[in-house]
Amino acid sequence: MKKKVLATLLAAAMTAGALAGCGNSAAETPAQQAPAAETPAAETPAAETPAAETPAADEAPAAEAPAASDAISTLIANTTGPVTMTVWASEEDQDYTTKLLDDFKALYSDVTFEITLGAESESTAKDTVLTDVEAAADVYAFADDQINDLVQAGALQEVVANYTYDVAASNVAGSLDAASVDGKLYAYPMTADNGYFMFYDSSVFTADDVKSLEKMIEVADAAGKKIAMDISNGWYIYAFFEGAGLDLTLNADGSNTCTWNAAGGTDVAQAILDLTSSGVFVDMGDEDMATQIAEGNVVACVNGTWRAETAQTAWGDNYAATKLPTFKVAGKDCQMSSYSGYKLIGVNPHSKNLGWAMLLAEFLTNEESQKGRFEARGLGPANSAAAASDAVQSNPAIAALAEQAAYATPQRVGGNFWSPAETLGQILASGNPDGTDLQTLLDTTVEGITAPIE
Amino acid sequence: MKKTIKSIIRHLVLLFLSVVWLIPILWLFVTSFSGYKGINTSHFFPETWTLDNYAQLFLRPDSIVQYPRWFWNTFVIAAFSCIISTILVLMVSYTMSKTRFPGRKGLMSFSIILNMFPGVLSMIAIYFILKTMGLTNSHLGMIIVYSAGAGLGYLICKGFMDTISTSLSEAAKLEGASQATIFFRIIIPLSKPIIVYTVINAFLAPWADFVFAKLMLNSGVATDWTVAIGLFNMLGKSMINKYFSVFCAGGVVIAIPISALFVIMQKFYVEGITGGSVKG
Repeated sequence: MKKKVLATLLAAAMTAGALAGCGNSAAETPAQQAPAAETPAAETPAAETPAAETPAADEAPAAEAPAASDAISTLIANTTGPVTMTVWASEEDQDYTTKLLDDFKALYSDVTFEITLGAESESTAKDTVLTDVEAAADVYAFADDQINDLVQAGALQEVVANYTYDVAASNVAGSLDAASVDGKLYAYPMTADNGYFMFYDSSVFTADDVKSLEKMIEVADAAGKKIAMDISNGWYIYAFFEGAGLDLTLNADGSNTCTWNAAGGTDVAQAILDLTSSGVFVDMGDEDMATQIAEGNVVACVNGTWRAETAQTAWGDNYAATKLPTFKVAGKDCQMSSYSGYKLIGVNPHSKNLGWAMLLAEFLTNEESQKGRFEARGLGPANSAAAASDAVQSNPAIAALAEQAAYATPQRVGGNFWSPAETLGQILASGNPDGTDLQTLLDTTVEGITAPIE
Repeated sequence: MKKTIKSIIRHLVLLFLSVVWLIPILWLFVTSFSGYKGINTSHFFPETWTLDNYAQLFLRPDSIVQYPRWFWNTFVIAAFSCIISTILVLMVSYTMSKTRFPGRKGLMSFSIILNMFPGVLSMIAIYFILKTMGLTNSHLGMIIVYSAGAGLGYLICKGFMDTISTSLSEAAKLEGASQATIFFRIIIPLSKPIIVYTVINAFLAPWADFVFAKLMLNSGVATDWTVAIGLFNMLGKSMINKYFSVFCAGGVVIAIPISALFVIMQKFYVEGITGGSVKG
């Protein structure tokens, strides 16, 4: 039995390695196959249609509508037999996507669809898709930071033509940038709320209090409550360094450029140490936060729209949200920055029904669907018209996100960033227990972050 | 006096060890009755108690938690793999232990070395081979993967069969028994303990396997999954706060078939004693 355990452990260790290796090898395979991917596209009459219609639609915008509906009727005419497709949507999006799929089937009732809906979180879509692109879903949702890798692996069909609505003209500019690589649009923007901001309980804080983190700590301390942020997570700790004007950017080869250890870096690290030393501003993971909010221990937290429901349930009418506060770096107030993110829907070029897959992707992301997604799940639409609606504008979380948008940057960072940043966060959040010199600490971190991609 | 102190110390150590071992299981068990669905680290025992997690698990499957379906899938895969692997192991062991043929030694060493390579190393190759045959995302493919290499793991079983006196099979041979008769009528009845061991092992491996299942069943469709993938999926970032206690309930339920199998098989451990079958 002991041997079994040992074997299992070994197996687990090997898997970690094997999976990592697997990701790479799989990423290469489709890249080599990329030209081959063109072949089915050319052969499928369905896929040919939109491509053929594009120039016409581009040159004569007036003719766009009839051309588009022609494309759909051609697509329907060219379809014989049932259309089999797989769609991946995140676990939370299952109910709403099921409804949309039913609507889609009803809309094109002339065609028999066999659409399977699978569960795949947007945040892990890349890993699963790249394991075997050919076996991945025809239409899948993913977070925008994965787009470079997906495009490189030939896992995304370029959006060259539209059937029902003009993707490029209908969505907010930021979401289109996020969905494009080298100026080519590769995905359909779905939501524009994958960022973070400050939730707070307005019975504890006034609107003035939440402007500065120091003030918030003071107020929370007086109330005997806590403010939570997932400091030991690269995604969040970025807010401090970027806010203080230090840079982290992605290079073309997938490695990072990082200046966190430049002049002023130690001040930021010291600022984080000072903030956490109060014992009021605490490092807390997302799951813990949910519990602590519900139990009333945490009265403010840095988190995203996915936590809105928890906060709203716990705080009721006192639920409020705003942009991130300022924090003091070497005596000077700095506005905390953040990552902004989008969720996108992509079409797999290996799809056997490419035309239908693209039409479905459009359907899942059109104005109506984005509005519905906001109503059903409170997710901020990427569609300009849907985002401008009163209901969306008056949602506290979305409004806070919009406010934060001025200080946010899109998430473009290489894979080597996460674990050194996490370590840095852990050390700082626990008050630098070894008393490491801050400059040395940052130098080590930056060395890890900027390590070349092998 | 000295004896009592020693005994107390011994028991304290044992008590400490058993607490260390049992606490996670106890936690899993009590959390499965928690009224709060998310993960709650501030209390060991749940604040509210309910059976709803079990009810949700079995009676209200949604599009991502299809526990009865997973349970059935896993059971079918594990049961078939178990039957096939056990048969293979017993046949190989018998051949290696009771028959003599040229190249037997070489074949034995070769299979032992082959068996030492961890299966996960060939994972990706296996995946692509099965893909060309259209066996990914299929439970048949999983059964093939789990049971195909089973024969290589004959070593322990063969060791047991070696202890069965050759005079038994020789006597049978003199009476005109064929290899099949010797195998079924003599060796198998005497090998009950090792059969139990083989069955339990052969059932447990696919029952608890995550790695191959995750790789093979990649369609993302919840109804195809096995329990291991399904439970893992319930711990995803977006799911954990709504499903953690349900996950714990799933973790408790998964232990039932294994325990049942063990209880059923255990009595054969006692029965299967080879001593006394040879009359001097």
